[in-house]
Amino acid sequence: MSLQIIVNGLATGSVYALIATGFSLIFNVLKFSNFSHGALMTLSAFCGYFIAAERGLGLIPTILVAVVTGALVALAGEFIAFRRITLNNTSPVYFFVSSITLGTMFEGIVTVKVGANFYNYPQFFQNSTIKFGSVVISTSDLLMFFCSVVTLLILAYILQKTRQGRGLRSVSFDRDTASLMGINVTRTIQFTFIVSGALAGLAGVFLGINYTLYPTLGSLVVKGFIASVIGGLGSLTGAIIGAVLLGFVETILISLVGSGYTPVFTFLLMLVFLLVRPSGIAGSNVQEKA
Amino acid sequence: MTLYLSILTQILITVVAVCGVYVLTGLTGMFSLGQAAFMAVGSYASGILVVKCGFPFWLACILAVLIAVVIGYLVGFPTVRLRRDYISLVTLGFGEAITALLNRATKLTGGASGFIGIPRKTTFLLALASAIAAIAIVSWFKTSKYGRQCIAVRGDELAAKAMGINVPKIKMNAFLLSVAVTAFSGCLYAFFITYVDPTIFGWKKSADWVIMVFFGGVNSLTGSVVGAFILSGLPEVLRSLDQYRSIIYAILVLLIINFKPSGIFGEWELSPRNLKALGEKLAKRSRKEEKTDGAA
Repeated sequence: MSLQIIVNGLATGSVYALIATGFSLIFNVLKFSNFSHGALMTLSAFCGYFIAAERGLGLIPTILVAVVTGALVALAGEFIAFRRITLNNTSPVYFFVSSITLGTMFEGIVTVKVGANFYNYPQFFQNSTIKFGSVVISTSDLLMFFCSVVTLLILAYILQKTRQGRGLRSVSFDRDTASLMGINVTRTIQFTFIVSGALAGLAGVFLGINYTLYPTLGSLVVKGFIASVIGGLGSLTGAIIGAVLLGFVETILISLVGSGYTPVFTFLLMLVFLLVRPSGIAGSNVQEKA
Repeated sequence: MTLYLSILTQILITVVAVCGVYVLTGLTGMFSLGQAAFMAVGSYASGILVVKCGFPFWLACILAVLIAVVIGYLVGFPTVRLRRDYISLVTLGFGEAITALLNRATKLTGGASGFIGIPRKTTFLLALASAIAAIAIVSWFKTSKYGRQCIAVRGDELAAKAMGINVPKIKMNAFLLSVAVTAFSGCLYAFFITYVDPTIFGWKKSADWVIMVFFGGVNSLTGSVVGAFILSGLPEVLRSLDQYRSIIYAILVLLIINFKPSGIFGEWELSPRNLKALGEKLAKRSRKEEKTDGAA
């Protein structure tokens, strides 16, 4: 029982970690909460469904299509919604509105295409569960866990070791100084959006496999938000820790109070966290700069 | 005629809600993505009080607004001390939590099938009076000491603090006022539609309201009210385009944000003095045109 909870919690947490890092990346670089992230997940999950899964192309092409769509759409979104605001140094308030608007637009596009219908990804695996002793793991959970871990490791490598990653970190630290040091800020921001969009696409497919595909699937992004608040807004490591923690808490809560009331309790958990330790687990304290 | 009156009443109810959002977003620069959840609290609380407890309508409204304010205080208390991003994230979570609660507490709320049997009490005149009252209260708030402090907080929190403004308190005041106004619009809504269900109070509705505020001009109450009128009236006019509504909204707002970030009205407010100034400006312009015509 307890081992089962750990396994399920890890699987849920790993998807939340994908959402939370995609969200935190943009928060890190542009210092705003990207509310279009959820709708982007839905959009790319649906693209994966219509372009690959519906034609029986299997899981890998579906994921690839969704990831590429996510990256491209995020790039386009950066151009139409955020570029001018970044360049004009307008008040950060406008980032909010832009991202909310972009989110409603993505969701609107999905709704126009699919209506309010529910879709299911085809069964990707022959045997849907694997047994290890007394623990039953669904194949999709296992796959989700490994994909997430590998993706996050690659992301960590890019951020820590590569030139592009160093550029990203310096832009997130101070945009103007980074630009003086010869870093192409616009390119770096585009790169951030591409990575974040790709993560959204991956998370979208996994959510679609786990639940069903429907136009408001993106509202699950709230789990990613809660995870990054618990972990500490603006810290990637914190976001991952928060996501795994949230996965565990949810799994335990579902077995205790049922899935209906779980959002209420996770919300209360977030409030308590903000009261006791507003800077989150990682302790990153993002203050408004003077 | 009744159809038009009914549409107008719905628009006016939206105007009341948007007045609440304006206090939060326009004046203080905070974004609530759970504002519709407070509307839900208002609707459900007043509906339950009237239908199940037999309270009179006005008393139920007052109690519902009070309940919403208390909940708003609990939600706001940990968040107002922090960066403004937190209030959007927390209210978004709050919206999800409220939806889950309304769906599950079937005995009290009717669950996913909705709460039915609310008597119709909201008339067109009541909605009109409420909208006027809400606009009056908010415009009074804007010109009062608190409103000016809110604007200072929006401009720069740190500088506002340095000027001796109690930033968390001001944010809390604005949040609670906006919660109260929005919850009241929820009461009006419940007693107009006579039926409420949890799905209509999602974050999309809150986002729509924010968009309305920005469409008209984030610094102007007049702009927000006009924005609410135009954007909530538009789908009624363009029934056939209902599907594309959110996309059209989004494109409009993206255009405005990219090319005229201050919205249609900018800072301009509707007041006798500003009207007079505008009239003089227009008169001067037409006189100038006459002159150039004469010269030609």
